[in-house]
Amino acid sequence: MNLVQQLINGIVLGHAYALIAVGWTVLLGVARLVNFGHGQIYMLAAFVTWWAVAGLGLPYPLAILVAMLAGVLIGLVMQAAMLRLTFRQDLVAIMIVTLGFGHMMRGIAGLVFGGQPQVLETPLSYIDFEIAGAWVTAQDLAVILVSIAAFALLHFGLERGTLGRTARMVAEDPKLAQLAGINVSRVYFAVFAFEGAAVALAAALVAPRTPILTSIGFEEVIVTFVVVVLGGIGSVSGSYLAGLGLGVFTALFGGFVSPAYATTAAFGVLIVVLVLRPSGLALRAGGR
Amino acid sequence: MNAAVPVLEARELRVAYGGHVALDIPHLAIAPGELVGVVGANGAGKSTLVNALLGWSRGAPAVSGSVRLDGEEIGALPPHRRVARGLALVPEGGAVFMRLSVAENLAAARPLSGTRGRPHDAAAIHALFPRLAERQHHAASALSGGERQMLAVARALRLGPRALLLDEPSIGLAPRLVADVLRTVRGLVGPDLSVLLVEQNVRAAIAVVDRLVLLERGRILAQGPVAAMRDDPRILEAYLGEAAA
Repeated sequence: MNLVQQLINGIVLGHAYALIAVGWTVLLGVARLVNFGHGQIYMLAAFVTWWAVAGLGLPYPLAILVAMLAGVLIGLVMQAAMLRLTFRQDLVAIMIVTLGFGHMMRGIAGLVFGGQPQVLETPLSYIDFEIAGAWVTAQDLAVILVSIAAFALLHFGLERGTLGRTARMVAEDPKLAQLAGINVSRVYFAVFAFEGAAVALAAALVAPRTPILTSIGFEEVIVTFVVVVLGGIGSVSGSYLAGLGLGVFTALFGGFVSPAYATTAAFGVLIVVLVLRPSGLALRAGGR
Repeated sequence: MNAAVPVLEARELRVAYGGHVALDIPHLAIAPGELVGVVGANGAGKSTLVNALLGWSRGAPAVSGSVRLDGEEIGALPPHRRVARGLALVPEGGAVFMRLSVAENLAAARPLSGTRGRPHDAAAIHALFPRLAERQHHAASALSGGERQMLAVARALRLGPRALLLDEPSIGLAPRLVADVLRTVRGLVGPDLSVLLVEQNVRAAIAVVDRLVLLERGRILAQGPVAAMRDDPRILEAYLGEAAA
């Protein structure tokens, strides 16, 4: 096995993991919410991107926007249904409701898009670069660049300015934020819209790597869960590093030991880390 | 402005948890420039009253009734919109954002537009609470209890409210500081700001308020000008530890 190729695969995979998890990072960090329909939004957005390109004949960048718009709509509908639960911070009910949404999305995708696996072909997939004897596509580079851009924007957005301060106030004490005149339900809607758009963006960029089926999404939600927990719940920089680390680990383990047990090994790492550092790998608990 | 219109007025204000009625106030009004003290034992419904005026609660009670601010009905609005109209609440226990700095806590409350109140700018806040100027770059979690209370009050003043609801601003403070805090509150009251003050220390409250409202089991037992209420046997007996003469 070529080490450079495995490292590059790992870095691409890691940025894909981080990008898939970015919406949930904000969901947890700002609103203390979870979304177990996350993987199915990924799946639906992958289908929407495919349909926009193959069905409507839209150029790929426009198809990405269509998928993100669909993600925003799904996010808003989910939050509208859960607003009361959100205000009560009833996490168990929210978990079950979002799981239910996930199953419904899978059923709807089956009805609309059928059971055939689809392949999303993008112009970027056909452009290759050679780096030290290893190969990387323009699609892979796009995943890395967009992921870095998304995390950088989020890091500075939540650190500075009115938006970041509002987000941190709502994260710490939504009831108290109301007394400062903040419309907390609007913040919750914005957070869920961001979650939908972010996972749709990830799907539109990452899904061309694999066939698109209505059954995908489970692995994505599990990876996201591992990334946000490893990264320290709600920590933006922690999620980025955890995604990257998990990707490199999975690629190296898959390349040098066995791809069949890569996920198992990743969970082994998760358990060890959580036993040793219960707050995750973030430098400080609740850090960004 | 018509002086006869109360700044804040509640009618048939009821709060229930499950089937249990925690508060039942047929009528309560606060005049312009008035400082009204709400006193009563633990569990009398003092916090429930000020929270209900804003439609705010940490729990999920059923609240009904009319609340008017400067004659306009606000009883159906969510809390953040009542705040936007000029009604501010400082809840019990120095409610500040611990992870934000003092300056960020203050900046979090943006002066209201269209209120008839007078927003305090940073200079006015610092003149009122010099400690906050000294500690503006500290995290709120590093402040003492008294400083957090100042910060919570300062944040409400920055909004420029017409009516300010203060829930036990003196709680947990040394007796010497209690009088200081209440004197500061007295100094805030004027033609553009009325205050409803919940206070457990009845003796300290009597020294500064214009009018007293005595609550018991969620109902108004007595209310009136402090001069008359001071000698009310129910106040004397229950809260000042003196035998009714």
